[in-house]
Amino acid sequence: MQRDWPDILGGLILTAIGVGAALWAALHYDIGTLRRMGPGFFPVVLGAGLFVLGLVIALPALGRACTAPKVEPWTLLAVLAAIVIFALGLSRLGLAGTTAVTVLVATLPAPHKGWVWRVLLAAAITVLTVLVFSIGLRMTLPLWPRLS
Amino acid sequence: MTTWEGLLFGIGFVTQPEVLIYCVLGVVLGTFVGVLPGIGAMAAISLLLPITYYVTPEAALIMLAGVYYGAQYGGAVASILLRLPGTPQSAVTTLDGYPMAQSGRAGVALFTAMASSFVGSVIGILVLVMLAGWLSRAATAFGAADYAAMMILGLVAASTIGTARPAKGFAMVTLGLLLGCIGTDVNSGAQRFTFGQTELLDGINLVALAMGLFGVAEVIANVRNPDRQSVAERIGLRRLMPRRDDLRRMAFPMLRGSALGSFFGALPGTGSTLSSFLSYSMERRIARQPERFGKGAVEGVAGPESANNSAAITAFAPTLTLGIPGDPIMALMLGALVIHGIQPGPMMLEARPEMFWGLVASFGIGNLLLLILNLPLIGIWVAMLRIPFNYLYPAILVFLCLGVYSVRGLTFDIVAVAGIGLAGYLLAIAKFSPALLLLGFVLGPLIETNLRRAFLISRGDPMVFLERPIAAGFVVATVVLLLLPLWQAWRRRSAHELQ
Repeated sequence: MQRDWPDILGGLILTAIGVGAALWAALHYDIGTLRRMGPGFFPVVLGAGLFVLGLVIALPALGRACTAPKVEPWTLLAVLAAIVIFALGLSRLGLAGTTAVTVLVATLPAPHKGWVWRVLLAAAITVLTVLVFSIGLRMTLPLWPRLS
Repeated sequence: MTTWEGLLFGIGFVTQPEVLIYCVLGVVLGTFVGVLPGIGAMAAISLLLPITYYVTPEAALIMLAGVYYGAQYGGAVASILLRLPGTPQSAVTTLDGYPMAQSGRAGVALFTAMASSFVGSVIGILVLVMLAGWLSRAATAFGAADYAAMMILGLVAASTIGTARPAKGFAMVTLGLLLGCIGTDVNSGAQRFTFGQTELLDGINLVALAMGLFGVAEVIANVRNPDRQSVAERIGLRRLMPRRDDLRRMAFPMLRGSALGSFFGALPGTGSTLSSFLSYSMERRIARQPERFGKGAVEGVAGPESANNSAAITAFAPTLTLGIPGDPIMALMLGALVIHGIQPGPMMLEARPEMFWGLVASFGIGNLLLLILNLPLIGIWVAMLRIPFNYLYPAILVFLCLGVYSVRGLTFDIVAVAGIGLAGYLLAIAKFSPALLLLGFVLGPLIETNLRRAFLISRGDPMVFLERPIAAGFVVATVVLLLLPLWQAWRRRSAHELQ
């Protein structure tokens, strides 16, 4: 039997977040009274609520079957990597450089094979980005890699 | 200002070229993303949020609203031609729109959808104008307890109505409320959950959250989705004009759908998806020949399409007059206004008439533009469906990163988008609603402030929520909504035992 892992894991993660948030808030922030709530009051109540809701989701799911959802680990990894590369590259590679690299990484999981279209697409999007953001909207960003 | 003066003032405001251009931009972009399955209005509005920094708040809101209702028009196109709902609101339109297209009546189906959307919008605008005046007068009687109770009702309604598993909805709303706590507490100045990160002092950036949850997650889900690859089918659009009996059949469903949509759109937490489903089931129930439904009945397109458009418009009434967004898209609109330092509420009608009346007039003009533009442009939208997603999504990712960077100039926010995108993707495949999380996130600080104020005024007495008639009404409605799923489960179980 394929268990309902999305609900079991999702519920348990939510429970953990709830406990963590409630404990952290209770230990670090003033809870106050109902009349004069401190900054900790709302987070503690919400954390406790999330703890209960997580269990309400996870426990009934233990005995339930479910078709496993399809995860695309490579797509996930490539897209997230492209975003992080963009973030890290912006100040080092300049807008043009980081855009080109980001597009090349982002197209890795695309089902269409070959590399010519990837390079052409990277060039086209780079030109478009520079035109729109650097020239059109006048964002102050370095365009090219810093050579030092 | 009377209603007529207001409308004339609004039309005068919107027809200024520098405002009109954003209205046009919004509706065209909205149609574009509506046609493209997989990229919804939420993702498009999140992508556009940073651009609103460069324009006036009025133009920004007019543009974002244009994206929202423009997407409803576009969504119908994809639903009818490909049986792929471009937006959740147009999912029901596939039921009868697609069979119509298959039997060679694609043109008539599209015409019906456009005309119904237009009628729905016009009725929605009339209801919005009446409701807004009434609501903003009623709002002067609203105290902190009433606001808090109404927002809690909205959250409960959004997570219970139309969802199979209310517990998952509540969990997402709660998580959103909790995420809304991050940053400096407005009441005490305490820093909550910042863990020493100065980037978190202002809380999680709304733009980063929305882009991660919708933009990034939708891109990841669609890159290798076979449905999202280019479409090669030929679509015949020889005849657009409906026959006389089509017109006769669609008139009343349009009016009924508009009435239904106007009503449910204005309620917190229900929104336009629900009203289109309700309209469809109502039309099928009262039809003389219900067996025609699902095989290409014009009524099945006219009703839902007018319902979702009128709901999209009246949903602005509580958002603008009370400052309480009823659904996640309205929460984003509210967020856009707050970015500009505008707190919507009962005073806004007086203080910024160009905001309210300009927006109302832009609804009229935008919908007229959609009606005029879309019929001749249908060929272009269909051609656009043939652009492979391979070419689109890398550009979406780059624009998204730059967009979120432009808000505060912090690369921290771009990295945050990656993290939030991961969470959003996992939530979506595990069938937890990221939209409810966003609704909770936006409403969190508002609810907390009003709750604290209500308890301060009542000296810690929770009876304040039952003594005030407005709050008591919301509390009763909330309790009913909470008990409903339990009651349904109990009835299902007892029916099961009888068998």
